[in-house]
Formats: sequence, structure tokens, C-alpha cells
Amino acid sequence: MKRILIAIVLLGLVASPAVAKVDLVTLPNRDTVQLTIYNSADLTLVRESRALTLKHGANRLQFSWANTLIDPTSLEMLPKANADKIDIQDLTYPPRVTNLGVWNISSEMSGKVPVEITYLTSGLTWRAFYMGTLTNDEKTMRLQGYVVVTNTSGEDYENAQVRLVVGKVHILDQIAFLARLPYPFGRPNQPYGIEGSIKVKRDCMLAKEVMTECDASYALDEVGKKEIIKEGLSEYFLYTIEGSDTIASGWSKRLPSFDVAAVPVVNLYKYEEERYHQQVVRFLSFANDVKHNLGETPTPGGNITVYRTVDPDGHLSYTGRSAFKYIPVGEEVELNLGPVENVLVEPTLMDFSTANYLFHPNGTIRGWDEIRRHKVDVKNTREIPVKIEVKRNFDTTYWDIETGGDFGAFEAVDKDTVKFTLELAPRTNKEFTYVLTTYHGNRIAAWKPRTADSTGPN
Amino acid sequence: MNARPAMALLAAVACLIGAGLAEARIKLVALPERAATIVRLDNARATLVEEERVLTLHKGLNKVDFSWNGVSIDVDSIRLRVLGHPNDVTLLNVSYPPNEAALVWEIHCKDAVEERVRISYLLSSIDRLIAYKGVADKDERNLALRSFIILRNFSGEDFDNAHVLVDYGEAFDRGILHEETKQLLFFKREAVPITKVWTFDASKLPWDPGDLENRNVGIPVSYRIKNDAASTLGEFALWGGKARVFQDDGHGSTIMLGEDVSPLVPVGEAMELYIGDSRDIVVTQRKMREQAINERKTTGGTTVLYDMDEVIAAKIENFKDTPAVLTMIQHIPGEWRMVDCNLKYTRKDASTLEFEITLPARDKNGPATVELNMHYVRLNLRGAPPNKH
Repeated sequence: MKRILIAIVLLGLVASPAVAKVDLVTLPNRDTVQLTIYNSADLTLVRESRALTLKHGANRLQFSWANTLIDPTSLEMLPKANADKIDIQDLTYPPRVTNLGVWNISSEMSGKVPVEITYLTSGLTWRAFYMGTLTNDEKTMRLQGYVVVTNTSGEDYENAQVRLVVGKVHILDQIAFLARLPYPFGRPNQPYGIEGSIKVKRDCMLAKEVMTECDASYALDEVGKKEIIKEGLSEYFLYTIEGSDTIASGWSKRLPSFDVAAVPVVNLYKYEEERYHQQVVRFLSFANDVKHNLGETPTPGGNITVYRTVDPDGHLSYTGRSAFKYIPVGEEVELNLGPVENVLVEPTLMDFSTANYLFHPNGTIRGWDEIRRHKVDVKNTREIPVKIEVKRNFDTTYWDIETGGDFGAFEAVDKDTVKFTLELAPRTNKEFTYVLTTYHGNRIAAWKPRTADSTGPN
Repeated sequence: MNARPAMALLAAVACLIGAGLAEARIKLVALPERAATIVRLDNARATLVEEERVLTLHKGLNKVDFSWNGVSIDVDSIRLRVLGHPNDVTLLNVSYPPNEAALVWEIHCKDAVEERVRISYLLSSIDRLIAYKGVADKDERNLALRSFIILRNFSGEDFDNAHVLVDYGEAFDRGILHEETKQLLFFKREAVPITKVWTFDASKLPWDPGDLENRNVGIPVSYRIKNDAASTLGEFALWGGKARVFQDDGHGSTIMLGEDVSPLVPVGEAMELYIGDSRDIVVTQRKMREQAINERKTTGGTTVLYDMDEVIAAKIENFKDTPAVLTMIQHIPGEWRMVDCNLKYTRKDASTLEFEITLPARDKNGPATVELNMHYVRLNLRGAPPNKH
């Protein structure tokens, strides 16, 4: 149902907008409408064009938006022809009526004038989500992207050009908060935004409604494939959906964004006790570049569900689900698919000793070394090769390490972290050792700093 | 009709006013119309209203009653100025009737005369806001800047027509009713040069995006607008207000880039509007060394003073297909000395270093990468160093 109304009000018949009045109005139709919807904020820029019939002299244009979520402070009107003959004198929000603005226009001409009306509204959102399907050998993945547009704005937008913006816009006030203010710019000595908006939380019912709509959108499935034109603007990416769409209030629409048949992927398994406890966590990594059959545009953030093809008939097995961050062109992404049990890393402290004690003449201990010998077993039980990263964090900056066995690539990550990277063939084990010496008290003086470019053990 | 308190000016002959000011007053009066009203909004804390009226005064003593029921006037701010015959018309005194928002001027007049007077007072709950709208061109070099003034009248008084003044720009005539808000275009400039600024502040943003489990770190992006003649501005200070910034999309439409609030910007200074975050520039910063050196000890062997030898390594990657200049802010607290730094910096204050790092666009091989390596020593730290058991 349409709730936005625009009317040319004949000036002579209006007693006062504040009181009982008799209006004689003409209702110009909306010719075109464009929606630019942001994914990082509940924000949509609406641009609509209408043809007004102005008379010579003073005209009043009344715009009302009952039961919608329009921010009245964002209302703007621009004549698209004869701009030099049309003077928009002011925009007045009359007293004691809500959701109504009146443009006072002085026109030196009479006749039809195309105008563009823009405003910001809340309640239109979009989000991206992805489906990944790994091949049997898990070397490549079919990656399908989708966008879901949801309209809870209270207004039906018919035959609208829909544009989606990827990027993190900085806004001060929630548009929904501004839309609900009793006075568009508040009152003197009362902030109308910024501080006030922090306290505002979206209505739970509304949020629930959005969730329901989002979930319902899955059932809609693909409604005809449309091309999405992607282009960069400032720090944003703009996706323009081909043609026009009607998104009635309360409805969602799902559209395919892209479909890449074979993205080369690396299965990376990570072990880091401080972050993942005693679990091995699986990551799927690839880069948004040409080598990976991607790289034309950044990909917006969303969730990805990853499956694996398990047989020639294309039956699937669920592998995991992950958040998918915004990936610039050229950047690598790691999708955390959660802990696994089929790749094992088991560090064992094999020996502990202390040495090199320093004593003060009064007999107290002033320094010593601690030596720990660790054995690390790495096991790949899968039928495909895997790559494993083992990170070890030390609680001190004063350490030396000696490595042994099949430890793969070694890197000192920062002042208290090292990383071993191993590649294991299917169903194989590897074992490596390291001896960690830490220096304490006055023994720190015996420690020699690693050079800035050193990546190997001392 | 809506019954609402309003201001009234009542001119009356003394004998027609009731027995005493302290009691109920009966008034039979002429009601002089407002001749001109000026609303002056040049001070954000109070609005000054000046109104001119013509009083019909008779020879001798006149009493003029001014009341403002339901309107919030600073009573001590009310002034009356005689404009027509200042030598013949004399304001003798001002009386305040009890329990009323009113005052009575006693005016002596040499002859019967129609006299123009100006009454001024500070009125609450009527003010103005400033808002900006900017539309950047597609190349982000210039901004079409417009400034709006928003009048808000919740004073209880209707102003059918007022001459509205602010401290710069042209005055304008507008009526504004009680509880009405009015937005007017104040000034516009078609092509104000802008500089785009990316800023990484090491004290505010995460150092290693790899630790964030697949979440982005946004590098704040701002537009800088200089308030000077070269920018077609510079005539007056730009008042503080909310700014919404859009960009021409090259297809006859715009997208919204972001919004920010600017404080007052004096002539010669720059307005900086933070519009959003870039996720196409990635900074990975790590501390590679933190070593206590030059320890000074008591005779008992306890360390009481030491220096800390530190190495910071930062990798800055530009994934954009356009070049960018990143302002990187590093902080070294206390007393310190730089040992080696591979990039040039400006020391902004005792503990703040600012690097301006030019990043080329990405190429077919991947992102453009610049590395910062900073080796410094923090001096004369007291007590025992960390990690010392």
C-alpha cells in the first residue's frame, strides 16, 4: 500500500497547515524510483522523479509519508528543468502535524516541470550470502554469491531500480530513530540526534519481523537471473541490478550475484592453544584474484555455507559454515570452518630442566634459564593432502629455540610467537621437536636479540 | 483555533488601569500592532528578538503594559527604546505586577504623539541549526557544497513575518509559527576543492587483522575542506553542523558517502569530515622486539632504571586500483630516542609520530605494499622490566 503522498496544494484554499483546512490538490504520479540500499547501515537513499504542474507565482508542494520510516531531515527537491525559473524558497514542517513537509515554491512559469525528490529511509536492507561446494579432492570450490533485499519500510516501491552499496558508511544517527522523532529537527535545547540515537534500539518486534522475512526469503529461491553491474565509487562498491524490481513492504527478494565454477582453494589447518585450545581448526583459504578465477570486484561480507561433493551423482556433504568478510581485490581470505577431528596435532613436553643459576653474594637467586623440550606429532588421517600451521606462543620475549625433525617451514612471527608450517600427504604422520630456552632474571643479559630480518631459530 | 499563549503589548491611559497593580487589573487598551520584527540568531545560546511598535501616547504620564503569558522571556533582558522623539518621550520606570508574566512601563510625554518604540528581549526555545550537504564529483576532487539554516520555533509565539539575521550571509524575511521548523538554503558553492585522507592511528585500530578471525579493519576516511579563498570559501567562519556527503555516480545519480558533525571552522582552517572506513587498505603491525637494556641496579642487585629496545614492523597494503596517501600515527610514550626508521616522519608532539605514506595502486601482481620499520629505545624506565622473574 502506498503511504507516501505528494500533492500540489492550491495556495488560496489553505487556511493554515496547522489547523482544520480544506485542500484542493492534484496528486502527481511517481514516474521513476531508484533505491540505493546500504549493507552496513539501515539506510536507503530513495530518488524519485515526478512531473509537477506549477502555476505562475506561489505554489505549495505538500509531501506526506505516514507510517513509513523516512528521515524528514533528508528531504530534498530539485527541479530537473527550468531550474532558473523555479525558486524553492523553503521547506516547512508545519506545527502539530506529523510526517508532512511543505515546499514553498516560487515559479516564473506555468506548466509541467519534472522534479527529483530524494530522501533517506530506514527499513530497506540487503545482505550477501554465499554457498561453496568443494570438489571431491577439495582442490577447487564452486562459489555462488547471492543477495537478499528485504523491505520493511512501510512503503511499496514498484518498478524500482535497485542499487546495492558495499562499504562501511559513517552515519551519526539511525535513520529509524530520526524517522520517529515528533519534530524533524527536535526542539531547541534538546538534541535531535547523535546522543539520542545511541539510546534507541530498534523495536524488537520489527527486528523479529525482519528475521522472519529474511528466513522466508530462502523459500523464494531464484526469481529469474538478472545481471548485476558492479563498479567502484570512492570507498564503496555499487551493485546495480539489471532492470527494475517491485519490492512490496514486508517482502524479501533473493537474487544471484555471481557463480564461479572452480575457485582453487587451500585447506589450511591451524593449531594454536591460546586461540583454539587443544583443537585443530580447519580453514579454507583462497584469494580474490585472477588466479582464483575471481578478482573483478571486492566481495561483500556475509555468511558462507560450505558443502563437499561426495559422489559422481553430485550428492553433498555439509562441511561447515563461516563468516565471510569483505575481501578487496587481491586479498586472501581464510574461512574458519570450525574444529576437526581428522587432522591431529599433539604437542608433548618431553623434558624440563633449569640451568645457569646466578646468585647474589647474599645467597639469593638472581637469574636462571629454563629449558623445555617439546615433541609435536602431526597426523593427517584424511585421504587428501593437507597443510597445517602450528603456532607456539611464549610468555616472554627472551627466548631461543632449536628445532629438529621434520618441522617444515619456520617463522618467528613476532617477539613471542613462532609458526611451523607443514604439508602432509594423505594418511601420513610427521614429528618434529623443538627445544625452547627462556632466560629469567639477570640471565636476560645473556640473551641475544634476533635481528629484525631473522626468521629462523637462533 | 488553537488557543496559545502569546505576547501582548497594551498601551493604556493611566486612569483606566485598575486600582492597584497588586490586585486584579482591568484594562481597556489599544493594541498596537507589530511594525517590524527582527530575530537575531547570531548567538547559539540565546535568540534576541527586536520588535517595533507604534504607541499612541497622550500628554503626561502613560502606562504601557507588556505581557508574555506562556512565552519564555528573560525578564531582565527586556528593553524599550524610544525611536521617534527621544527628547520628548521619557521612560520613567518599569513595574512588575505580582504573579504575572508582565511589566508596566511608565512613560512621560511632553505632548500627545504617536511614538515608534523598539522592544527587545531574549526569547527561549527559538533557535537555528546549520546543516551541510556536499556532493563530491566522481573523481573526488571537488565538492558542491550547500549550507542550510534550520529555524526552530518552539517559543510559544507566532512570528508572521520576521527579518531573520545570522552573523554572516544575507538576512532574510520569513514568518515562522510556534512549533514550526523551516529549512532554508543559506549558501552554495559549486566546486570546493577537497582532499581525501586515510588515517591509521596505532592507538585506536587493531594491529594484526590476522588475529581478528576473518573480520575487517576499517581505515577511517575523511574529506578535508579548507575554509579559504582558494576553495571559494574564506569569507566567514563556517558554523558547526551536521554534514551529509554524497558522490556523483557518473550516471546522473548519487550515492551517500557518509555524514559527520563539524565544529565551527574559522577562516583559514580546515573542515574535516569523517565519512566512512576503507577496507581496501590493510595495515598489519607487529612488535618484533621488546628488550630491556642498560639496566641500572642498586648495590643489592635490584634493577631500578632501564631502557627498552623496541622494534615495530608494519606492512601497509593498498588493494585499491587507485593510489592513496595514508596518514599513519604512531605513539611512543615517555622519553625516547629513534635508532633507525626507514620512513620519514613528523614529530607532532612529545609522544606522537606522523608518517605520510604514499601508496601506489595495486597492479596485476597484487596489492601495492610499503613497509615501515621503526627501531627506537624508550629511555629511563623505572623499576624492574617486564618478563623479569
